[in-house]
Amino acid sequence: MQLFLHRNCLTPRIRNRGRLGILLFTLLGFVLSMTGAPAYDFFICANVNRNYVIGSKIVTTNGLFQRDPVANEWKHFGYNDTTISAVAFDPRDRDTIYTTTLNGIWVSYDGGDTWKMTNSWDMTEGRDVAVDPQAPDTVYLALPDGIAVSIDRGQKWERRENGLPDRGKYTQTIETDREIAGRVLAGCEKGIFMTEDSGQSWRQVLPTETTVNDLEQSPHDAEHWLAVTDTHGAWQSTDGGDSWRQIEALPAEEAIYNATYDPTDAKRQAIASWAYGVWTSEDGGETWTERNRGLPDGARAWRVGVDPNSGRLYASIFQETLYCSDDFGRTWQPDAMEGSSVNAFLSVSRD
Amino acid sequence: MKPFTSILKTAALTAFALVATGVTTTAQPSFEKPTSREVVESLDVRRGQYLDRVREMQDHRIGLYRAENFTKIDNSAMAILLMRGEEIEACNNRVLELMQEPGTGPFWMFPTTMVAYAGRDKLSTEAQEAIREAWRTTRQLRGDTENHWVMYHTSMYLMAQLYPDEPGSEWWNGLSSSENLEEGKGWLLDWMDISTTIGQGEYNPTHYIGEYAIPLLMLSVWAEDPAMRQRSGMLLDWLFAELATVTLDGMMRGPNSRTDDTSVVERWYALANYFSWQLFGNIPAGEGFRGWGWGNYFSVLAEYYTVPEVIYRIAVDRRADILQRDRARSRRIWRYGDEHMRPIYKTQYLRNDYAVGSHQGGMSDPIQSHVWDVTWSVDDPRGVHNTMFSMHPHSSGKVMQMFFCTYPEPMPPGVTYEGKPSYNSANKLLGCSPFEEVVQDLDTVVALYDIDPSSDFPQVNGFFSKDLADVTEHESGWIFARGGSTYLAYRPLADYHWQPHIRYPNGRDPTITEETGGRILTSPHSKNGTILQAADGDEFTTMAAFQAAILALPLSYELDPVPSVRFTSLRGREIVAKYGATPYVDGQPIDYGNWKLFEGPHLNSEVDSGVLTITHGQLGRVLDFNTLSATDIVVE
Repeated sequence: MQLFLHRNCLTPRIRNRGRLGILLFTLLGFVLSMTGAPAYDFFICANVNRNYVIGSKIVTTNGLFQRDPVANEWKHFGYNDTTISAVAFDPRDRDTIYTTTLNGIWVSYDGGDTWKMTNSWDMTEGRDVAVDPQAPDTVYLALPDGIAVSIDRGQKWERRENGLPDRGKYTQTIETDREIAGRVLAGCEKGIFMTEDSGQSWRQVLPTETTVNDLEQSPHDAEHWLAVTDTHGAWQSTDGGDSWRQIEALPAEEAIYNATYDPTDAKRQAIASWAYGVWTSEDGGETWTERNRGLPDGARAWRVGVDPNSGRLYASIFQETLYCSDDFGRTWQPDAMEGSSVNAFLSVSRD
Repeated sequence: MKPFTSILKTAALTAFALVATGVTTTAQPSFEKPTSREVVESLDVRRGQYLDRVREMQDHRIGLYRAENFTKIDNSAMAILLMRGEEIEACNNRVLELMQEPGTGPFWMFPTTMVAYAGRDKLSTEAQEAIREAWRTTRQLRGDTENHWVMYHTSMYLMAQLYPDEPGSEWWNGLSSSENLEEGKGWLLDWMDISTTIGQGEYNPTHYIGEYAIPLLMLSVWAEDPAMRQRSGMLLDWLFAELATVTLDGMMRGPNSRTDDTSVVERWYALANYFSWQLFGNIPAGEGFRGWGWGNYFSVLAEYYTVPEVIYRIAVDRRADILQRDRARSRRIWRYGDEHMRPIYKTQYLRNDYAVGSHQGGMSDPIQSHVWDVTWSVDDPRGVHNTMFSMHPHSSGKVMQMFFCTYPEPMPPGVTYEGKPSYNSANKLLGCSPFEEVVQDLDTVVALYDIDPSSDFPQVNGFFSKDLADVTEHESGWIFARGGSTYLAYRPLADYHWQPHIRYPNGRDPTITEETGGRILTSPHSKNGTILQAADGDEFTTMAAFQAAILALPLSYELDPVPSVRFTSLRGREIVAKYGATPYVDGQPIDYGNWKLFEGPHLNSEVDSGVLTITHGQLGRVLDFNTLSATDIVVE
């Protein structure tokens, strides 16, 4: 899950800014709760098409869905595509939307009414997309054969792969540091790579032998990051991604697909894994507990995400109904989206 | 010539069955009458027969819809009728109906493109506008394999050409007509370039050849850019020249980049054989063109393609054994591999009554590859399992990740419901393995296996067809058999047991299976190997004589620490193969690095040259993609 804070909350990077961030975040939430309006919009990228194969007629509704907190349901908008993998918004202009799909990268400048596929034929199968909140004209695109960057709001793309290995630059996830312009972390086949100059050069900050599947920056502390991998387990960084420490309390033999923070509670984190299902921590990642009771048998957790307005934990079970939990995984209820696999959860500040 | 002695019997039985059940069908001479494999010397007669086959396929297709007065006609039949100028009003109505629910992806795009072009001066304005509207509003997927991209980009190229000078708002992807044309052209030229310099990706596919040939034919006929027309026509020649070379009596055999559970054992079933039937007339069709469904689309424009004389003769006029060594390339490897695309080194040895083919082993396409086999000729190949091979039934989530943007777990079980039902089965006969290495010299194959014991199925499967005769498990360890008139000697290097061979009648449900009557030799040992020696029926007077000859051949092997074989073949050539090491034949290392793109009696091309020379006797044709010229030559 990628989270945009209220722009006015953004502060220059300082070592103790995490505490300040929490304070401002809490204050913002309090103010907005007094007005009755949710502070955030909550989106998912969902494919609802069990056993779809290329050539099949698409008979379901797929793509972007937004949580309607009043109707308490997911509402589809934008296009219908079974292959959506990620979404990002321009923090200055919510009508500017970037999504990745099998075809590549789709950009809308009118809130999803119309779209343009802006990648060239040799930049396809987009995996992830991220906007630099401190330099929002710059957008990063994760590709199975590297990384592309746009400096004109997604109209044109260029490869920026200096420092990535010739082989091993399969990029599954890409995340911008929300406080420092040009600082980006990429989860690749050969580890985590960081740039501090908008992708002009990359350096490896965590080596791996298999793919880094997800990277997340804490909404409470910009220095704190989580990473999960195919066969190296889960990792955390407390220095903005410069160094990493494995989370020993989580199993590491099988793949972990994604990780999330709870924007409403700085102590709560969760991960999703096909093999292990859903695990949560409520003490800032010190201890972790399996939370599969009440979910369908066989784990197959595809993604977890947290509603930033309510703290409700969601678990997407592969091609099953989306599940939700109001007690952070202790009990689960089926929500909606029967037959879905949710590829991304995203929270966007309403301001 | 090998007449189809049983074909009349089959036709008679079928006719009886149809009469008995009251079913009516369109006349299908290619199914009902014997097929001659004689060379047709007269160009006019040959061309006439070619056009007869075009007409037969077309008539069959549109005949399927006649009873309903063409109200449920599909895109292929519609394109045929539009090209003929028939049933236009029915086509108008059907277009309007179909365009209310447009499909997605290349398999909808190219048929619709075909209808759009075939009907551009015949369909009503309303029908043409319905097609145009679908291309404005319906999002299309480019797919995830090379054949998808050929169809996708061809369709985008041609539709952008049909509707030029329109802004992005008029296209589903937001690109203008000129941007779509350039995108399509960019991909197509790049693909054509690498295919003619370092080899085809989906090489020798049993079914996907249609997904290449049909778009290329469309481009060769409908592209306005003369360079694109020329390139596409030349690449069709290229594709069909290789088809002519590697088929046995018109039948596609291994190795194959991609095949399927049926075609890998019933070699006749492959769609590739439709192209032999259409182009060369040397293989019989099935009832209702069973298995050859894409041929109807090729038939729409088939009259615009002329089979070059030299290609026809390679397919039909076989005067000597063929030893062809070629390069191709694997599916592109996103991760977990040192190369973006692995070079594939194919060896093809074709004789009058059988053929042996292989590549070097290892990963090519993770799901549907077929690495090696011996396939024999039969009078009527329909329903016959005329092949023998062994393989490691490899299944791996991590290997899937090499080739697809996926996670380790979902794909192995998932693809079994996506038309690849055997993928996750220990008994499968389809697929390649990173733990297999193959050495072929003429009609001898040595396949070695050093399988990771922790892999899902650490065993070797050998296919023993229901159609084999005289199968004998000799105390020496050799298994002897006869396929047609071909003698076969199969030597497993580790203990084995037998299991029934099963097929998947419902291609999308792996739980529904039927036994075929064939058997799978299952050797449950991770260090393993197979030796196969084939020989022509004319070489030995009896099976006993063949057995005696095989038993006299020098053979030694070891399985630990790695499998290795030293074997002197029936051709007197010593093969030394050790897993993980360079193989030797008669003391000379096999140096794949020096292999040409094509090298053999009929096809020759240097790597990176972009030039293919096709020869048969004194006939020759040079396809030069540097100058975009196709030149017929006389070989001195």
